[in-house]
Amino acid sequence: MTDVRQPTTVTLLALDSSTASMSVAIVRDGQVLESFTTFTERNHSVRVVSEIKEILSRNGIRGEELDGIAIGQGPGSYTGVRIGVTAAKTLAWAWGKPLIGVSSLEALAYSARLKTDSGEAVRPEAWIVPLMDARRGQVYTARYVAGKDAEWHRANEDGIRLIADWTVRLKEHAEIGAEQVEVWLVGDVAAHEAVIAEAQASFAGFRTLACDLDAGALGLLAERRYRSGHRDDVHAFVPNYTQLAEAEAKLLSASRGE
Amino acid sequence: MSLNDYYILAIETSCDETSVAVVRNGREVLSNVVSSQIDTHRQFGGVVPEIASRKHVESMTIIIEEAISVAGIGLSDIDTVAVTQGPGLVGALLVGVVAGKSLAMALDVPLIGTHHIAGHIYANHLVGDIVYPSLALVVSGGHTEIVLLESEGKFRILGRTRDDAVGEAYDKVARALQFPYPGGPYVDKLAQSASEEIVLPRSWLEPDSYDFSFSGLKSAVLAEINRSRMKGESPDFSALARGFQQSVIDVVTTKAMKAASAYGAQQVLLCGGVAANRGLRERLAGLCAEAGLPLLIPPHSLCTDNAAMIAAAADLKWRRGEFSTLDLKAEPVFSLEEWSVKD
Ligand SMILES: [Zn+2]
Repeated sequence: MTDVRQPTTVTLLALDSSTASMSVAIVRDGQVLESFTTFTERNHSVRVVSEIKEILSRNGIRGEELDGIAIGQGPGSYTGVRIGVTAAKTLAWAWGKPLIGVSSLEALAYSARLKTDSGEAVRPEAWIVPLMDARRGQVYTARYVAGKDAEWHRANEDGIRLIADWTVRLKEHAEIGAEQVEVWLVGDVAAHEAVIAEAQASFAGFRTLACDLDAGALGLLAERRYRSGHRDDVHAFVPNYTQLAEAEAKLLSASRGE
Repeated sequence: MSLNDYYILAIETSCDETSVAVVRNGREVLSNVVSSQIDTHRQFGGVVPEIASRKHVESMTIIIEEAISVAGIGLSDIDTVAVTQGPGLVGALLVGVVAGKSLAMALDVPLIGTHHIAGHIYANHLVGDIVYPSLALVVSGGHTEIVLLESEGKFRILGRTRDDAVGEAYDKVARALQFPYPGGPYVDKLAQSASEEIVLPRSWLEPDSYDFSFSGLKSAVLAEINRSRMKGESPDFSALARGFQQSVIDVVTTKAMKAASAYGAQQVLLCGGVAANRGLRERLAGLCAEAGLPLLIPPHSLCTDNAAMIAAAADLKWRRGEFSTLDLKAEPVFSLEEWSVKD
């Protein structure tokens, strides 16, 4: 007798274009069938649909056969996030497939987690802090905890923060625990080398890993969510910019009399 | 539904309207859904590109679904997807372009990147027959152009604005006259009802030029307001509105009629959002009647930015099998002449 709760095969297309790289992947049953990343900053809109078409055809999968579309919701480049989200929403709508949004920061952090697994060991309770450069000393960032086994959870919300303040906060927070925790700063680390070097000088637990967002990691996160029943509303789904548009922010502060 | 019928789904997001239309056989508008962001942008006194782009993402799939449903067809009936490739705000164009490419790929149908101004001009084909050579006067918030259509789908720009577009000049003058954004229609109304006119200069440029310049006229309006205030008087807004409108209409219609006669046009086409201007329509209609030239003007809903007009222009390429690839790029600056159909 078959166990009816046994999940059947799940195939997802995953896409993220919120950073300087654009990544597409196909995941099936916890495995990345293929992940492909290009670095054509400012040009994601040109290739995005072709990349999707080509990865599907290379893997012999028709759009209609997908179980859903996983999309990086941002934050990141405003235009970049919109390109990915628009493509994913339109395809999900046209094919009648569920959409599963994943934070692009979480996908970046998980990309690093998959990398560190194969290289340096990430000790249980390691923190993974994704960094995406947001100019003027700022980063889009969050904090994730990679626990024992496959345990993975978010510990700080996605947001835009000053890298200098953020590393100090992370250090203070890390020093509270009895055991020293490893704090992995991952992603756009080169853009903030100086601040990170300063942070490392005052706290030995900081590790760095320069890496790009891998849609394979995004797809794996989305598959877990998909299997637990999570679906996003295709029409209502919007990017997470984490910030108001500049004009809105100005209007808001003017209305508050600032 | 006949076997030979074909359906174009068109997407337009070049500025602050998200629009999707379904047009049958290139001329019959089955749906033309326009979601205007005007209420959002009004509070900023003009279109904010980043906010326009955000709004397009929010409404894109909703508007596509509505256009399909209003048209009363199925997604599988769509034969081709047309999308505004340019010109326009780059961030806004990108949303439509990516949605259009995605839809074309998902439905496995050809994609047609379409020129926005060709759309404004061919909106006329949705309401009447175009006789060639034809002369088009394109007047909108972003464009002021005199375009010669030597034959179907062949565009030649005879003149264009060197600074502000007509609609832009109207909106700027409207602001000076203390009307809310977008104030063009208020200026038209005020000018119509004025009993006096403050005569303002006409900018003819070089004698043989079909180009326009409106920034001097706008400055003349501002100078007139200042002059009155310096004297402690309140400026006569309605006489100013009339003076401004008369100057614009004089120059625009005179140049259009001159071009029509110089190039032997058989017909005049008026299009773009400013085609709604009553003063302009009336004057041009009078001049065309005098010259014995038929004049076509689409209804208001096809003059302001909309996707049905994009389908009408895309039809030129559909019938000739001129399709775009999925690597289509949004072009914020885009040549109309180069977009002409191939021989
Ligand atoms: Zn327009």
